[in-house]
Amino acid sequence: MQTNQIRQSFYQRYREKFGHLPWYKRYEFLLPLSFFIILLGIFLPSGRPSHAAGWALIFIFIFIVLLWVIGILTDVEKPRWLRAIAALGLIFVFGFSFYRYSGARWDLFTKTFLNPSMMQGAWSELLLGLEMTLKLALVSMLISTVLGLIIAVLRSFKNPILEFFLIIYIDFFRAIPLIVLLVFVYYALPFLGIALDPYLAAVLAVSLNYSAYVAEVFRSGIESIHRAQVEAARSLGLRPLQAMRLVILPQAVRVVVPPLTGLMVALLKDTALATIIGLPELLYKGIQTMIWKANPTPLVTVALIYILVLLPLTRFSSYLERRSKKWVKSAR
Amino acid sequence: MGEERQVMIETIDLHKYFKDQHVLKGISVKIYKGEVVAIIGPSGAGKSTFLRCINRLEEPSSGKIYIEGVDITSPRVDMNKIRSRIGFVFQSYNLFPHLTAIENIKLAPVHVRKIPEKEAEQKGLELLKKVGLEDKAHAYPDQLSGGQQQRVAIARALAMQPHMIFFDEPTSALDPEMIREVLDVMQNLAAEGMTMIVVSHELGFIREAATRVLVLADGCVIEEGPPRQLFNNPQHPRTKEFLSKIL
Repeated sequence: MQTNQIRQSFYQRYREKFGHLPWYKRYEFLLPLSFFIILLGIFLPSGRPSHAAGWALIFIFIFIVLLWVIGILTDVEKPRWLRAIAALGLIFVFGFSFYRYSGARWDLFTKTFLNPSMMQGAWSELLLGLEMTLKLALVSMLISTVLGLIIAVLRSFKNPILEFFLIIYIDFFRAIPLIVLLVFVYYALPFLGIALDPYLAAVLAVSLNYSAYVAEVFRSGIESIHRAQVEAARSLGLRPLQAMRLVILPQAVRVVVPPLTGLMVALLKDTALATIIGLPELLYKGIQTMIWKANPTPLVTVALIYILVLLPLTRFSSYLERRSKKWVKSAR
Repeated sequence: MGEERQVMIETIDLHKYFKDQHVLKGISVKIYKGEVVAIIGPSGAGKSTFLRCINRLEEPSSGKIYIEGVDITSPRVDMNKIRSRIGFVFQSYNLFPHLTAIENIKLAPVHVRKIPEKEAEQKGLELLKKVGLEDKAHAYPDQLSGGQQQRVAIARALAMQPHMIFFDEPTSALDPEMIREVLDVMQNLAAEGMTMIVVSHELGFIREAATRVLVLADGCVIEEGPPRQLFNNPQHPRTKEFLSKIL
């Protein structure tokens, strides 16, 4: 009875002191303790923990540190700089331990994949490829955006027959893998009397594919504009197309631009698939030089070029998204 | 007073169904030029639906609607032309958020009436002055208070030089201190002889400006008359019940 009471009061005191803390923080007191034990382990005669208990202690220590750091990382009430330091520390620990203990052959890795002498001869070829990639991407972006916009506007008028066919179009071109579409357009269409060179075939396939995505994005943008806006426009005597052009689209575009830029980034990357029909674009040139030099460095260079071209675009798209959020909020 | 008054709006046995819900059950009214008709009634009575049917924002299910003698339920009628002669003021203002006040106002005159940009701007500024907002011409709707937005919306409706204006609960989304400024504008319009249909429960406004009150309940006009008579001496038991709740 007596002991039970004492135990309960100890538990109560524990609850009072630590009960409000999240679980991982209740064990923070173990931290200096385990640190001390590890120090002991290091400075004991053997010099390093050689027995299982020592390793176990180290793992427990690391585990607790990890929990503690994650606790700081995720605690939004801690100051920003502290959270930043915690994250940096975590990344450093993981990065360093991988570098130090993974047994990687860094010299071989650089020689094979990041060989500067192999890069030198490849540049002129790769730039030619980049030019073709950009030509293909920009033309396809233009065509697919215009086509997608037209489809979305046509759909908004809710004509059942028209909508039926447009939905078939959208579903078909969204569902078919671009690579299959490319092969179909380039190798199968000649049998139907439409023979296209690789460039035109790629433009056609990419545009068809992406116009379906763009149409969906525009449709969601148009539908995000409140019905009352249409009613206000119509009550003033504007015709449906005028209401669309003057009232709905200017508002929808602001909603649509961020996801649209995202699509355009994806489009530019997907132009790489045109390799399969032998279009000499960036990836094709990269593979060619890789085979010619018998070294994968050009391919890595191609990846770097893609990143270099797309990084500003992705940054731009997130900037637009932030701006559009602000705008959408203020429009409500 | 002997002259024949011009009928602006006439509805004959107007019905409206939403799915299997019978919202309007045969409404027949005549509204003459220069009248200010207030429509009151409990919520769900079909007041807004009635208003929206008259300019075919909702398709009426059956019945006839004549606007200045033209049957607008006929499929051959050019609804856009009719609508451009009917101003409509919404409960939630419905200004175009991507345009400034003056752009909101001149949009329809420029694109429907094909009035030159400059002239429309001039007219728009005059209208803004009329609603007391000449200094807010280049403000976007989100920079305006509710009352100011609603006044811009009224100016936008006026810019088309409508023959009549419908107000669908124009003050019920407003904070109390802004209601007055909107009602003042409406009262001035009424005094100028504009034909108006107002769905509203602003009894002060109705008393002063309305020439006639229609009481709608369950999709029927259950009572009508001049405001003073109707408020002081309601006949129908449902009118009595409703008035006792809001007075």
